[in-house]
Amino acid sequence: MGDRTVQAKSTENTDVNQDELILQQQRRIEKEIQETISLVGEKESLKALESEYTEDDIYLSKARALAQKYSFFRRTRPDGNCFFRAFSYAYLEKLINNKDEYEKFRELARKSKENLVELGFPQFTVEDFHDTFMEVIDKVGGDTDNSYIELHKLFNDQGYSDYVVVYLRLITSGHLQREAEFYQHFIEGDRTVKEFCHQEVEPMYKESDHIHIIAMSTALNTGVRVRYMDRGAGTEVTAHDFPEGSTPSIHLLYRPGHYDILYP
Amino acid sequence: MSFEGKYNAKSPAVKRLMREAKELHDATDEYYAYPLEENLFEWHFTVQGPPSTDFEGGIYHGKILLPPEYPMKPPNIILLTPNGRFEIKKKICLSISGHHPETWQPSWSIRTALLALIAFMPTPGNGTVGSLDYSPIERQQLSKKSLNWYCDSCGKIADLLSYNKVKKPITEEEQHMLNTISLKGDVSISQDMPYLSNADIVEENELRHRNNINNLNAENEPEILNPPIEVISYSKDFLWSLLIAILIFAIILLLIRRLFLL
Repeated sequence: MGDRTVQAKSTENTDVNQDELILQQQRRIEKEIQETISLVGEKESLKALESEYTEDDIYLSKARALAQKYSFFRRTRPDGNCFFRAFSYAYLEKLINNKDEYEKFRELARKSKENLVELGFPQFTVEDFHDTFMEVIDKVGGDTDNSYIELHKLFNDQGYSDYVVVYLRLITSGHLQREAEFYQHFIEGDRTVKEFCHQEVEPMYKESDHIHIIAMSTALNTGVRVRYMDRGAGTEVTAHDFPEGSTPSIHLLYRPGHYDILYP
Repeated sequence: MSFEGKYNAKSPAVKRLMREAKELHDATDEYYAYPLEENLFEWHFTVQGPPSTDFEGGIYHGKILLPPEYPMKPPNIILLTPNGRFEIKKKICLSISGHHPETWQPSWSIRTALLALIAFMPTPGNGTVGSLDYSPIERQQLSKKSLNWYCDSCGKIADLLSYNKVKKPITEEEQHMLNTISLKGDVSISQDMPYLSNADIVEENELRHRNNINNLNAENEPEILNPPIEVISYSKDFLWSLLIAILIFAIILLLIRRLFLL
């Protein structure tokens, strides 16, 4: 009995120190990633993906299978925001030469602010994120080669890039909360949808799960196909469309814990 | 206050802070905060002690340090007026509370941080890093003394709050935040931990973003950067558990002796 108390006490103590060590290490890794991987990289041939796995048969065969269907990919920084960043980059890039859809999306984005304020998000800060989000949309609306350059520049500017991510997180959270009755079934544990949003959707650097992807793609009315590349059986890279049954307008590559952009 | 020209006005963080400066421009009876003229990333604030608590009637002053990544990362608060609840000249940050995990959200603001500070003052410190558990009498005495407290750059703090402004009501969203957030000493940049090299660099970068910070607070800064208090509180924790372990061990020994020697 006595021993157990001592043990409990000492684990409590190491826990505190452990937390700190983990924090320290996290910062170190974050910094290293920041220095080596840009927020959104250049387009690369899928050959580059194959060469990553020369010594790993499962992944190599899957990379080859992927190369049959896609020709290029674009890496994003693995910082927990990769799904939102990859999604918005790929989508805006696609909209550059699709004037109709661009206008539709612009209108949807413009209206989204009121929806969020109605849901109780603080007007003052939502406005701040919304303004910058619209600024980015406007800057890439030119339908010229310059728009591609501008998009790439903005998404690699930490300030703008993160603002886009924040705003998409807010839109996702807003959608989840409006459709709370439906999404409640997908949430594990006894959290409400609102709590889930506060803890897993709105804070930066929180990784995205299926529920985020379903909500984001539904809210923006944009189909996304995710290709799963993992240690699972078979040599195929399974495809999953969100929302189910939609026509995908963007393609993402998922490797455990991370999303990159794919180009047919 | 003119920051244009000095900062990249296109940077979202700069735009955001200028907006916040505008929003908080008029003092209320609860709080008042503004950026230093030399540095948009360092603010001074004044808050009123929450009513019906040991801090009632007190006025407390401090600094808010905004990280270069603000609002993606939370602001740090440093209290300067002795208050008996938080250590002074020491970074405290908004953080995850044990019962309802909640992390900083970019849609919160400096106002949110100040409301959290006020709401958090009467909660028990429980020996967490950066907390003080002074007796009610000591706190009440400090709250009276605080009225005469003087800040080198802002003057007499008792004159800074405004008592004729209608205060902005706390929204439902803010109330939710206040129920879940907690404030504690910043443990991430302690100097007594091993593997520090990178954290130091981060801290250095953070400082580089804040022009002139060192000249301004030459006397305060070293203490903030090398919080010696933390070392003490850690070894204190350790000593306590050691003491408990020894005591329990002694009791067990006595029990065994009694059982076998009878």
